[in-house]
Amino acid sequence: MTMTKIRTKPPELPEGRWTDPLVRTALCLLLVAALFAAWGGWRWYAAAHDDALAFSKLRDDVVQSGEQHVQNLSTLDHRDVAKGLATWRDSSTGELHEQLTAGAAQFEKDVKAAQTITSAKVLSSAVTQLDDRAGKASMILAVRITVTTPDGDPSVKTNRLVAQLERTPGGWKISALGQSPTGAS
Amino acid sequence: MTRAGRLPLILGATAVVLAALGIWSTQQASALRNVAAADNTALTDNAATSEAKGAIGDIVTKIFSYTYTDPAKTEQAARASLTGAASTKYATLFNGVKTQGPAQKLILTTTVTESAVISLTSAKARLLVFADQRTTNTADGKTALTPTMLTVDATKTSGKWKLTDLNTLDQ
Repeated sequence: MTMTKIRTKPPELPEGRWTDPLVRTALCLLLVAALFAAWGGWRWYAAAHDDALAFSKLRDDVVQSGEQHVQNLSTLDHRDVAKGLATWRDSSTGELHEQLTAGAAQFEKDVKAAQTITSAKVLSSAVTQLDDRAGKASMILAVRITVTTPDGDPSVKTNRLVAQLERTPGGWKISALGQSPTGAS
Repeated sequence: MTRAGRLPLILGATAVVLAALGIWSTQQASALRNVAAADNTALTDNAATSEAKGAIGDIVTKIFSYTYTDPAKTEQAARASLTGAASTKYATLFNGVKTQGPAQKLILTTTVTESAVISLTSAKARLLVFADQRTTNTADGKTALTPTMLTVDATKTSGKWKLTDLNTLDQ
């Protein structure tokens, strides 16, 4: 068949492959399937390139790392100070890391003398600031710290902590950690 | 088989492949989106995050501030901005102030020193709040500063946040 034939005799299409009802049905199905595939592909692309979604995941990463590292940094057992301090170094970066490294020897001596076991539990936390490009974040955390001394009952205290985080090749780590100040009146 | 007879088969097979591709990519998209993180717009939506922070912090400030000369102000704030479990828990927490307030001539000033949004959707929020509570016993002149922290849940109906639950984390 040629285009001219169709144009000259439009109502009577010649019997051919494209007029077969089966072929037409198959074509319709193909069209629907192609549209569905295109829509699915677009949805996938959109999800993979959704900035808000990526940022949400980043925020949750920061929360998870931050909670774990703050818990690590609030935990120390006099029976194995070396291991505890190694964990501290692993969980910290930047200035805090330097401080911990510099003060390690003195600290080890103090903790061994006091024979304290300090454990921590993060009760709640949330990110206050997150800068993806700079690789910096701030968090606030409610942390329950239990200090056990050889004599006497363990002392339990809930702390309001503020942590600064930085992205390192080994993930998000703590660059500063301290008590949230009480408001000056 | 003739060429005409094979054509529907080829078309049909292609349709099946495309449909499978469609299903697969839709599943990939869902897998990416079906994470807890996706529904939480804390910090991803900056305007909504600071709006929730501001409004909910304001509620905490108001319901935990008290002046013995004007207890109605606190009660009014509590009525207007608490619902469900938050109401009952608040009543328990604040009962002491309410009963002793007039006799001790109490003045309670609560300031939110730090807060952050744990999770946020268009209608729900959960926050971690650090607050300072300054209590002044005007009868004996004593003052005390109590640092506290609490998590609060809130819902937003017709543009107004209300606390649905509150939990102090001090012990």
